[in-house]
Amino acid sequence: MFLDRFFSIIAGDIDQWLILPVLYHFGWMEWEELSFDWALICVYGMFAVIVTYAVCWPLEALFPVERWASRKAVGVDVLYTILNRVGVIPIVSFLLFYQLQVVFTGTLVDWGFVPPDLEMWIPALFGHPVITFLIYALILDFADYWRHRLSHTFRAWYALHALHHAQRQMSFWSDDRNHILDDLISFVWFFVIGLAIGIPPLQFPLLILLLRFIESLSHANIRLSFGWLGERLLVSPRFHRLHHALKGAGRKSCNYGGVFPYWDMMFGTADFSDLYLPTGDARAPEALATGGYLAQQWTGAKMFAGAMFKRG
Amino acid sequence: MILRRTLFSLPLLGFTSALADADAPPPLAPGASAPLAMVMNSGEATVSVINMTTREVIKTLPTYREPSHWVLTPDRSKLFICDASGNALFIVDPLTAQPLGHMTIADPYQLGYTPDQKYLVVNALRINHVDVYDGVTLKLVKRFSPGKMPSHLDFSPDSKWSFNSMQGSDTLVSFDLTDMTTRWSVKVGPTPAGVLWHNGKILVCIMGANGIIEVDPVNGEILRHVETGKGAHNIFITENKATIYVSNRIGGTLTALDPATLAVRRNYTIPGGPDDLGEAPDGKLWIALRFAEAVAVLDPVSGDFSKIDVGRSPHGIFLNTAMRKPGKLTAETL
Ligand SMILES: [Zn+2]
Ligand SMILES: [Zn+2]
Repeated sequence: MFLDRFFSIIAGDIDQWLILPVLYHFGWMEWEELSFDWALICVYGMFAVIVTYAVCWPLEALFPVERWASRKAVGVDVLYTILNRVGVIPIVSFLLFYQLQVVFTGTLVDWGFVPPDLEMWIPALFGHPVITFLIYALILDFADYWRHRLSHTFRAWYALHALHHAQRQMSFWSDDRNHILDDLISFVWFFVIGLAIGIPPLQFPLLILLLRFIESLSHANIRLSFGWLGERLLVSPRFHRLHHALKGAGRKSCNYGGVFPYWDMMFGTADFSDLYLPTGDARAPEALATGGYLAQQWTGAKMFAGAMFKRG
Repeated sequence: MILRRTLFSLPLLGFTSALADADAPPPLAPGASAPLAMVMNSGEATVSVINMTTREVIKTLPTYREPSHWVLTPDRSKLFICDASGNALFIVDPLTAQPLGHMTIADPYQLGYTPDQKYLVVNALRINHVDVYDGVTLKLVKRFSPGKMPSHLDFSPDSKWSFNSMQGSDTLVSFDLTDMTTRWSVKVGPTPAGVLWHNGKILVCIMGANGIIEVDPVNGEILRHVETGKGAHNIFITENKATIYVSNRIGGTLTALDPATLAVRRNYTIPGGPDDLGEAPDGKLWIALRFAEAVAVLDPVSGDFSKIDVGRSPHGIFLNTAMRKPGKLTAETL
């Protein structure tokens, strides 16, 4: 595919002319096999941000749910997005994931056991990479539904997740606003699942991008529903906005799904009413809504500690 | 460069078919139509199959995750393609590129049969193992944990010793395969990669430096250093033993060395991350370019090259014309 090739070549150039000389200079060449992946992550992350911006910004301008006098509270979400998609966090988690996987795989192999991939559980999938990818996407989205639903169920976990809900000026930038400990829990969650079904084949960065795009779009300040059928196929801005509504904060919420609404339909948590309600978490401290990055992280950590150690 | 190539080929155009017939090597085997190049696209979980005559990708074979290197089975009926993070060896008919299934094996990154074909030695780069399998049954015989990131390997011609570079530990390790013990482990320099037994010595590419070193296989003593280019990655010797080639990852060059003296004969500039290579019957070198998503076909005489687009991060390359060569089982002998 043309786009795919275009981005890989850019990533290759970044690796070849920027990253590798640095690795070489500092004697870190043992990372040279992985550095191309870092470059790919950054290039696709950057592209994702640009596309999301190009699509969502005009839509938010034309069909907004809410008009804001000041967009100041959106700024911190932009920072979350850049950190999470282009910057350090994907590379750090990639490295962490890689290293942990090395330890676990090595241990399993020492016990005479080779960790499986989904294609080993379902051999018929082999040779059908797109279908394989979609099944991975379904499994991971299913896992994400339960991760998200549980994060609303446990008091301490929601203390972290409240940061995501506190935003009253919800926009397409809001998808990545999460407490770093919440991100860490997600990381462990998906790592464990990755051990059971293998890492999904990463040869479809464009498809991964599409899934991430749907998640960004679902937070956008756009009066947009996908229609009766579309709403039941993919998560829309209308669908996810109900999850972010004031009544959706805390224990009793709805529409937990990230990309696919099927799990909400299956487990009775879907709400398809045609409403565009104000978002936010009325009980969250103001710092979580309008504070800067560090203020939000610090407040979230304090709430988490409070919920962990002062029970009841 | 392009102009010159075109001009040179013009007078030949009329004779192309006649020349092709006269020059055509004997057919590989009944049923094998065209000579094929198989390129392992490590970033895309595929193998590109190229018709070497028309230089077109004629099909793409799937793997699980990350195909890297290859080896021919001793009877030459199968090509094993490593898929490290897929924990599998993919089996392909080397003549026709027909897929013949795959088998589960832990993290195969680079591998080789001992010259006597008794063992298949596998470097498991991610999980820091060197696994010795029985060459016939492929049952695990011995597992070594000699250091971090075992990357490349070669053997002594008597099949007694193996030499494995540890990319993450900066060491070269030698195993005695007669009693499955570690002979020695020495620091050879930052991030060692390609390994080649040559003239009773071991040559090792030092990717974190600018060349190769020569090591005494008996005791691991470093004998000398030869400058080739920044990020020396892999090393090959031509079938007629006339030239040694070293691909330099950072420098984006290919260095030709005199096998007798290890003196540098020539440097070719080939940007795009040159990695593995193969030598076609016409003497051209087919080089996988990691970052350019292409295979370069280099004329070592003129220094000109053209490119064939393949998948993401092409890594290992197998030319099935090599099947005609006696004794060839490894990627290091072109
Ligand atoms: Zn939520
Ligand atoms: Zn959300």
